[in-house]
Amino acid sequence: MSNVCEEQVFSSIFKSNSKTVFNYIYYKFGNAEKANDAVQEAFVKLWENCAKVSPEKAKSYVYTIANNLYLNVIKAEKVRLKYANSVNEQSSNLSPEFLMEEKQYKEKLENALNALPENQRTTFLLNRIDGKKYAEIAEMEGVSVKAIEKRMHLALKSLREQIDGL
Amino acid sequence: MQENYLAKWLSGELSEKELAEFKKSEEYASYQKLKEISSTLKSPEFDMDSAFELIKQQHFGQAPKVITLNPFKKFLRVAAVIAIMLAGSYFYLNTLDESVGTSLAERSEVILPDNSEVFLNADSHVSFSKKKWDQERNITLKGEAFFKVAKGKKFTVQTDHGTVAVLGTQFNVENRKGFFEVTCYEGLVSVTFNDQETKLPAGSSFLVIDGKLVKTAEPKDNQPTWMNNESSFESIPLQFVFAELERQFNLRVTTKNINTELLFTGSFNNTDLNMALKSISTPSQIQYKVEGDNVLFYAGNTTP
Repeated sequence: MSNVCEEQVFSSIFKSNSKTVFNYIYYKFGNAEKANDAVQEAFVKLWENCAKVSPEKAKSYVYTIANNLYLNVIKAEKVRLKYANSVNEQSSNLSPEFLMEEKQYKEKLENALNALPENQRTTFLLNRIDGKKYAEIAEMEGVSVKAIEKRMHLALKSLREQIDGL
Repeated sequence: MQENYLAKWLSGELSEKELAEFKKSEEYASYQKLKEISSTLKSPEFDMDSAFELIKQQHFGQAPKVITLNPFKKFLRVAAVIAIMLAGSYFYLNTLDESVGTSLAERSEVILPDNSEVFLNADSHVSFSKKKWDQERNITLKGEAFFKVAKGKKFTVQTDHGTVAVLGTQFNVENRKGFFEVTCYEGLVSVTFNDQETKLPAGSSFLVIDGKLVKTAEPKDNQPTWMNNESSFESIPLQFVFAELERQFNLRVTTKNINTELLFTGSFNNTDLNMALKSISTPSQIQYKVEGDNVLFYAGNTTP
């Protein structure tokens, strides 16, 4: 039977989940330093309690730890997220006008994202960037799939309104 | 359109009909663009390797806290508690004194560990430590008992009136409310009353009524009369005679116009109530009336 206390098992859990834990905290609070700390904290806790946490439970365990860690700490801070510019090489053969327009659009999107409520932004970005299914996000956040769909719907709605200047 | 249709559209869960309808709407193009561009977003760099190294350095050196799951652990814990309780109650019960008692209208005999015999009269109680009997022969008495003590070490009877100590003899101790009598039938008995020791040779009694030492006549027999189902009195106030009657027949005595301090000499039978009542009333020139468990004694010239 595999055990989280085995270094191999722990390492594979870390590799498949640490990036998402980082993103999860980052989307919530827009602070990369705090997100890194959250990863450390969450996985150290997992290691310390490896005998009590089964490999199946390990995933939701680290999200819970990370979430609880900053639940009250950063809530008040103003969120300033930056999303790495992903204009890739393929687009270099596109017209400068197009690139310009895309850049402007992304700026608008970033602003709109920053203005979203934390839970809508987290849900939207976990889906768009990390490709998480609604059910997965629901598990991480500890709410129903329906609640996640609602957040997603509202996020799309207000993002469009913001970007189109309605 | 169904609830949260934007979320359903994004996850490709809209029906064909709904999708067609959505595509016709004027905001469709905007949403389509939002969908495309947002998927090119990226989160900040996360250096997974160095994050892992950091955890490794700090914590892999130390062995993780491994909690061994031992299915017997809980069982052992419970077993230990039970064992302790059993051992504890064994020792506790061992130190508890043996105790024997009689209720009203009842008699009993107790054989002590050294084969000494104790005969308990009605409403009497003795207790002693079986375990320590070899070290000290000590017995606590409430009520009345006749002792036939086997020869040996000092034998002590504790009562709330005084202490009776012997080496080996036969004697009777009556320890009732306001009444303390020791009668020695054989050997020598030492009675300590109010810190004063009195040596009681065979064939003599020691009587205290309401705290006062009373002279008594010599006992006629070699054992108390109650051993033969008879209660005898030699110049004893009537109230103690009535009290004995209550004990022997388990009834309640009330009196009317009678001086219960009058002295009574005589005896009554412990088995026949009618005889006993006559034995008391005739010489005292009083009347009696029985109603169930109640007996009323009243003066001869009055009506009940």
